[in-house]
Amino acid sequence: MSQVNRLTRGGRIDRSQPLTFTFNGQNYQGFAGDTLASALLANGVDVIGRSFKYSRPRGIVAAGSEEPNAIMQIGSTEATQIPNVRATQQPLYAGLVAASTNGWPSVNNDLMGILGKVGGKMMPPGFYYKTFMYPQNLWLTYEKYIRKAAGLGRVPTEIDPDSYDHMNQHCDVLVVGAGPAGLAAALAAARSGARVILADEQEEFGGSLLDTRELLDGQPAAEWVVKAVAELEATPDVTLLSRATVNGYHDHNFLTIHQRLTDHIGEKAPMGQVRHRVHRVRATRVVLATGAHERPLVYANNDIPGNLVAGAVSTYVRRYGVAPGQKLVLSTNNDYAYRVALDWLEAGRTVVAIADARQNPRGAWVEEARAKGIRVLTSAAVTEARGSTRVTGARVAAIDIKGFRTTSPGEWLSCDVIATSGGYSPVVHLASHLGGRPLWREDIQAFVPGPAPQKRVCAGAVNGVFALGDVLADGFEAGAKAAAEAGLKAVSGEVPRVDQRFEEPSLAFFQVPHEKSTARAPKQFVDLQNDVTAAGIELACREGFESIEHVKRYTALGFGTDQGKLGNINGLAIAARVQNKAIPEVGTTMFRPNYTPVTFGAVAGRHCGHLMEPVRFTALHGWHVKSGALFEDVGQWKRPWYFPKAGEDLHAAVARECKAVREKVGILDASTLGKIDIQGPDAREFLNRVYTNAWTKLEVGKARYGLMCKEDGMVMDDGVTACLADNHFLMTTTTGGAARILEWLELYHQTEWPELKVYFTSVTDHWATMTLSGPESRNLLAELTDINLDKDAFPFMSWKEGTVGGVPARVFRISFTGELSYEINVQADYAMGVWEQLMEAGKKYGLTPYGTETMHVLRAEKGFIIVGQDTDGSVTPQDLGMNWAVSMSKPFSFIGKRGMNRQDCLKADRKQLVGLKPVNPKAVLPEGAQLVFNTQQPIPMTMVGHVTSSYYSASMGFGFALAVVKGGLGKMGQKVYAALRDGTFVEAEIVSSVFYDPKGERQHV
Amino acid sequence: MSNVNVYSQRPAGTARAESPLFHAELEKLAGRSVSGAGVTLREKKLRGHLILRGDASDRGFTRAVESVLGLELPVALGLTAKGETSLQWLGPDEWLLVVPQGEEYATELNLREAIGDRHISIVNVSGGQTLYELTGPNVRNVLMKSTSYDVHPSNFPVGKAVGTVFAKSQLIIRHTGEDTWELVVRRSFADYIWLWLQDASAEYGLAIAA
Repeated sequence: MSQVNRLTRGGRIDRSQPLTFTFNGQNYQGFAGDTLASALLANGVDVIGRSFKYSRPRGIVAAGSEEPNAIMQIGSTEATQIPNVRATQQPLYAGLVAASTNGWPSVNNDLMGILGKVGGKMMPPGFYYKTFMYPQNLWLTYEKYIRKAAGLGRVPTEIDPDSYDHMNQHCDVLVVGAGPAGLAAALAAARSGARVILADEQEEFGGSLLDTRELLDGQPAAEWVVKAVAELEATPDVTLLSRATVNGYHDHNFLTIHQRLTDHIGEKAPMGQVRHRVHRVRATRVVLATGAHERPLVYANNDIPGNLVAGAVSTYVRRYGVAPGQKLVLSTNNDYAYRVALDWLEAGRTVVAIADARQNPRGAWVEEARAKGIRVLTSAAVTEARGSTRVTGARVAAIDIKGFRTTSPGEWLSCDVIATSGGYSPVVHLASHLGGRPLWREDIQAFVPGPAPQKRVCAGAVNGVFALGDVLADGFEAGAKAAAEAGLKAVSGEVPRVDQRFEEPSLAFFQVPHEKSTARAPKQFVDLQNDVTAAGIELACREGFESIEHVKRYTALGFGTDQGKLGNINGLAIAARVQNKAIPEVGTTMFRPNYTPVTFGAVAGRHCGHLMEPVRFTALHGWHVKSGALFEDVGQWKRPWYFPKAGEDLHAAVARECKAVREKVGILDASTLGKIDIQGPDAREFLNRVYTNAWTKLEVGKARYGLMCKEDGMVMDDGVTACLADNHFLMTTTTGGAARILEWLELYHQTEWPELKVYFTSVTDHWATMTLSGPESRNLLAELTDINLDKDAFPFMSWKEGTVGGVPARVFRISFTGELSYEINVQADYAMGVWEQLMEAGKKYGLTPYGTETMHVLRAEKGFIIVGQDTDGSVTPQDLGMNWAVSMSKPFSFIGKRGMNRQDCLKADRKQLVGLKPVNPKAVLPEGAQLVFNTQQPIPMTMVGHVTSSYYSASMGFGFALAVVKGGLGKMGQKVYAALRDGTFVEAEIVSSVFYDPKGERQHV
Repeated sequence: MSNVNVYSQRPAGTARAESPLFHAELEKLAGRSVSGAGVTLREKKLRGHLILRGDASDRGFTRAVESVLGLELPVALGLTAKGETSLQWLGPDEWLLVVPQGEEYATELNLREAIGDRHISIVNVSGGQTLYELTGPNVRNVLMKSTSYDVHPSNFPVGKAVGTVFAKSQLIIRHTGEDTWELVVRRSFADYIWLWLQDASAEYGLAIAA
């Protein structure tokens, strides 16, 4: 069986390029230019899947993105599995491997089929809610089987080998859709010199012009398309995006386009190419030329394979050279659908009859069909289809629409294709994404885009303009208008001539009456993808779900990947009929991005793997890597955590590093500390206002520790600031606070104190900072510097300028370890050379590189806080026992002064920072552990604080911690108990937070 | 001038200097030929970078700067250049001055002397940032992948410079010639931006120039 339905001529396929593909394990052949859907139809494949709920066999219904049934799993390998691809949108390529997503375990031998038939009655709408919600603990089990049975594709379990990216686009006019209206709009805008983007979801531009019978300027419409595209291609600043679905219309005329760059070549992009690209478009004006979807009629058994939307039949015949059957029955309520019968005849097939719901249609298309000898039945419709896996007959009966009843028993016509047209639904999705409700137009029985605040114009069928000549004119006008509104000079232009045919109005006709009531008639499907029937909607309304939003949720109408493209209006019409309301009274559901499904890869773009997040490195990073450092993430920075030697774990390495600093000398890369250069005659006053302590008397050459609070008096940041000259300071901030503090300073300068003459400039990246710490640091540094390191010439908390290792440096004698320390700052470009010289010269002193973990232990032994670890935004300087760093007598006040003097902040039992010494010297309290004063109390116990930092000190020989404890500063020597998860407690004594060298003698040597 | 601490931060001798992209060993990559490269990257490394702040409405200040540099002080989003020296507007009272390697100290002294005792700030940030120069027909595509700012010549002509988002970071984009752009990249982000640029330009072919 090979391409039994392929026509010998016609269509836009290339019969000289046969392509082999696989569907559900069987090999088939199609041609270049086919979609997977057209190739399957050409091969006479009727059943392409099973339905969601009832597991009924389903075939291809449509030819575009509105296809509800042909949802495929594509991919030949595990890593390249692509779920939920519409066969109508998947171009055929050689070797394509596709399978049904539905029909477990297989479409032809379907366990669920039996279940569905037996269980159909037991699965009314709302069955999820009615059945599966209880008992709740079984939901996980239910869900597994429902998902498996429910026609959702599966995601690959291996890593996607492809790459995806994003591109930012800006334009004067974005035209969505390249059918007749979109092409005309793009031409008009391009001719005015606008920057234009034209995007269309299909393989080629042209839309309905690719399969229309109508002529433009007396020529086949497709020839005009070629000319129009050529003109656009030749126009500068016109970007043409095919295979590109405009999926979302967001605020501020920001739209997202999902472009499939290589899916027409294969399941995996060729080396070096991007598979999907998301264009992030900011458009001054948007022209929506999204066209319309034809509505099928709702009649009994309308889901048997062989039931198609009428226009799709024409598309398959004229665009793909496929006639999906032999004998056609057409059921319609409008003139335009008659062209389908004419196309079918021309393909050499038989038109059994046309059933027209109208009494006396006399339009031009109708008369042409009659003239060709086609049997036309009026006031009639197909009321029921017959067949199991393929249509074998259609029952055509006389109907009374107003009375919603059949007026004759009808006649069974033998046929294998039933094409139906219930009119045209403008594709209002994008126009409605931002909440603009569509408006019902009685004259065309359709919703059109309503007014919206967005800067957009709608053109063509989406606007309710259907006749080709009018569509072209509407498109051209919209393009010119959009360009003019974008500030360009509009140009006049000509629209190709169309021989307009006289068409009579269509008739409001949605669900076809059946001789039995809706509840008793065979299933009449409204939403094929979600298996929603007319009876289901009736039941929902009967059960009191009046709002269409409720009906939607109760029945699943328009759910999932379908978004109601075919079924929504029919569903609304049925709900309106049952409730005896007009359609606009029932309203419409919300439309949300995305219009069609988007792969996660495209959403992520390049922000994955090593590009997921920026990683910041210091100038010395290469040395740390070579030296085997393990790294800790501090904000975006990679900082050396510790430098393990062979066989060492974290504790062993940290114990060794701590010992080296306490007894000899260690070196730390402190480059990540935030550094802000402050210049200006009012710099000192500015410091007085942003820090809690006083800066008036800090001499040139000296440095001072400062605390910064927010307005509420809570500690926000800390650091050492040095006076470089009378009008010149260098502030340091915490690593994580660098950017925030610079913004804070600018904010206060620009908004509160613009009269202060001061400028701030970040120099964090300019300086590399190497900290030598330990008793031998002076001896080591002396070997490489011309600075006089004598303790009186260069005392603690001062800085000197000189060279270190031949490189100009500022050296700060400040300490975060409590040991004699020198922080050497050099221009970052020269840091590596200086570091290497220090390491070389340091050998004889036992110089040991140390990381952040050792730094944390050493500073905690000294009771030095880390803002953000020992504080949490609710801690005042007084809570930290740092009243010495607060000057209440500064003349101007300072940020946080009022806040920290609120009554609540002055209470004696606030949580205060103290040291904790576990009674068992081996015990190390867990950080974050909650503290209680008394273990003999009922649960929940009264918690009195928590552990903020906790380590084992190798130099002191016991575990120790910093903690906040209610009234802790007044409870020295008392006991607290850390409550552990296992119900046990660790007893600890409240002690001073300064464990090591409490007099600070070591840093002053 | 004694009110500020100014000194030559660059060693006079032959001390080794490592630019922010030193570890990428661009000079080795520069040897490789890439046929039809759509993008060519060069690190314009180790230049002198100074941040200048002052009152743009003070004619005395602007005249002093212009007399020292021979460059007009650019207005919003502007970039002026002469030879290897360029001056870029960063904000209403802030400019980035880039001078050849080693000239930053003398330039700062000259500027401070000419400007006199006005309230200004000059800060040497040479070690903290570097310039990536990108040339080639596809540079604009790479920029479009990286920033939401509109880089079309109608919006971003030669001589314009903006600080903006780039990938998940921020930097300054300068349009210096028809197909030539510069990125001012902070040292600590240099590797991230370099990785990003390699990735974004892969489909067009990336060549490295020394």
